[in-house]
Amino acid sequence: MAMAMSMAEEERSLVRLCIESATESAESVDKWRRQRRTLERMPSHLSSPLLHRLLHRRILSPSLLEVFQHSVEEVDLKGENCVDAEWMSYIGGFRHLRALNLAGCRGITNSALWPITGMTNLVDLDLSRCSKITDACIGHLLSISNLKKLYLSETSLTTDGVRNLSCLKSLCVLDLGGLPVTDTALFWFQELTELEHLELWGSKISNRGAAVLETFPKLSFLNVAWTDVTHLPMLPSLTCLNISRCNIHSIYGGELNVTVPLSKLLASGTTFLNINLQFAPVEADDLSYIDLSGSSVDNFHFLGHMKALEHLNLSFGAMSDDLMWPLSRIGEKLRYLNLNNTRVTKIGMCIISSNVPVLETLLLSHTSVDDDALLYIHSMPSLREIDLSNTKIKGFTLSLLQNLTHLQSLNLEQTLVTDKALHLLSVLQELKCLYLKSEILSDVSLHVLSSLPKLTSIGFCGTVLSNADCNFLAHHQCCRFWI
Amino acid sequence: MKKEETVKLISAEGFEFVVDKKAAMVSQTIRNMLTSPGGFAETQHGEVRFPEISTPILEKICQYFYWSLQFASGKETEFHIEPELTLELMMAANYLHT
Repeated sequence: MAMAMSMAEEERSLVRLCIESATESAESVDKWRRQRRTLERMPSHLSSPLLHRLLHRRILSPSLLEVFQHSVEEVDLKGENCVDAEWMSYIGGFRHLRALNLAGCRGITNSALWPITGMTNLVDLDLSRCSKITDACIGHLLSISNLKKLYLSETSLTTDGVRNLSCLKSLCVLDLGGLPVTDTALFWFQELTELEHLELWGSKISNRGAAVLETFPKLSFLNVAWTDVTHLPMLPSLTCLNISRCNIHSIYGGELNVTVPLSKLLASGTTFLNINLQFAPVEADDLSYIDLSGSSVDNFHFLGHMKALEHLNLSFGAMSDDLMWPLSRIGEKLRYLNLNNTRVTKIGMCIISSNVPVLETLLLSHTSVDDDALLYIHSMPSLREIDLSNTKIKGFTLSLLQNLTHLQSLNLEQTLVTDKALHLLSVLQELKCLYLKSEILSDVSLHVLSSLPKLTSIGFCGTVLSNADCNFLAHHQCCRFWI
Repeated sequence: MKKEETVKLISAEGFEFVVDKKAAMVSQTIRNMLTSPGGFAETQHGEVRFPEISTPILEKICQYFYWSLQFASGKETEFHIEPELTLELMMAANYLHT
């Protein structure tokens, strides 16, 4: 029976050792680069890691690329500023090339793309942040007729160039983020019926363009963040929607009693015109991820129906104790709750404490919670990470946390916790990360920490340490410190 | 050494390497051949032919088997691979899943 390799076994697997030896230096490369027949029959899943290891070790040169042209199917040159027309002339010879990532390669110009024109195997091309790419490259792109995934965000393309992409009928992922795309281009795109993933953040589209989105039958991911869109039409197959920094008056076209497959809603900094009314007629039974950080929402009644919720970010918003009640009904699956910079106090913790059986992460930084809140927090049985930084915690009730047998990370930076209270932490035997930052702490704290066997990371800013402490740090070799 | 405890690995050129079964089973592929119930003829004869693997590569692989066992038991030494062998060895290692 074959057993899966552990990480350590993987590290010293013979394939890995061969790649390390082959890429040790330019001299090592000279010993194998002429073994053409072997290179030609090498499977892509071996030649690809070899190529990328050479790149990582800064040994890869344009001419060395040639030895991989018969085998490699995926090339990731993301962020490599040295990549230019010369590199591309060799990439053009990669007859089996399926995916090419040139994101952030500043040396890529329109003419540099000429060698990859007409590559029929190429289905995935990332040119994000290649700022020298303009409308003049569109002809090159259109010749790569089987493209399925095309990423063009933050290039210098305009609506005039982009609208020609409607000829690429196989496109299912199209990233036009940060481009001045207007409603007109979207009218052209109606021919792209395979489209599943569309990024239009920061574009110039308005409600007129948004109405066209209804014609994409398979659209499951839509990003219209930072646009003037206020009304979204009914998009029945949408599973992920990003409307961050928008001013939203209606989603789902105001239709009544519809069930939608939405699972992720990103609405950071979004202004909603009565979000409760917008969600009232919608059954979003799969909605598991909501980010409303910094949004205008000040009534969370709609959350009371979101039974599938696992991740909820309400930081920098209007959430307060008297608005917490809907959360007490939906905690069954909640794993992540971010209440940083809200007006929530111990009362809010009291409301949810008995209804969050699987909550793993609770973030309460910059809130008014105090020691009494721990009376409720300690009854949330699955907690792994608690952030209490910048709160009024003095630490007198820290020993209550010993009920939390899974607790691995505790942040007490900028609190009123003193050495005396820190003694109570010695019961947290599972703790791996601890952050302390307070002028009130002194040497004594470190000796408390020495009784925590699993501690691997300590943040200990703003505190004066003595020589004795430095000896302690030296002995605790497994730890990483931020001092 | 008893015959049942060893296995014969035969290279493309016909060279035979007799190694401990325990060492050979560092390779998931050989392990599957030797442990799958009644499936492979290799199980009965205690020998495995590798018509695609040349003698110097198979020799290196046998060295790796023993090095790997030693490493797992705590003797952490370096396994040196001559750069000119790396490509062929990598393909063989991939086939042998080791």
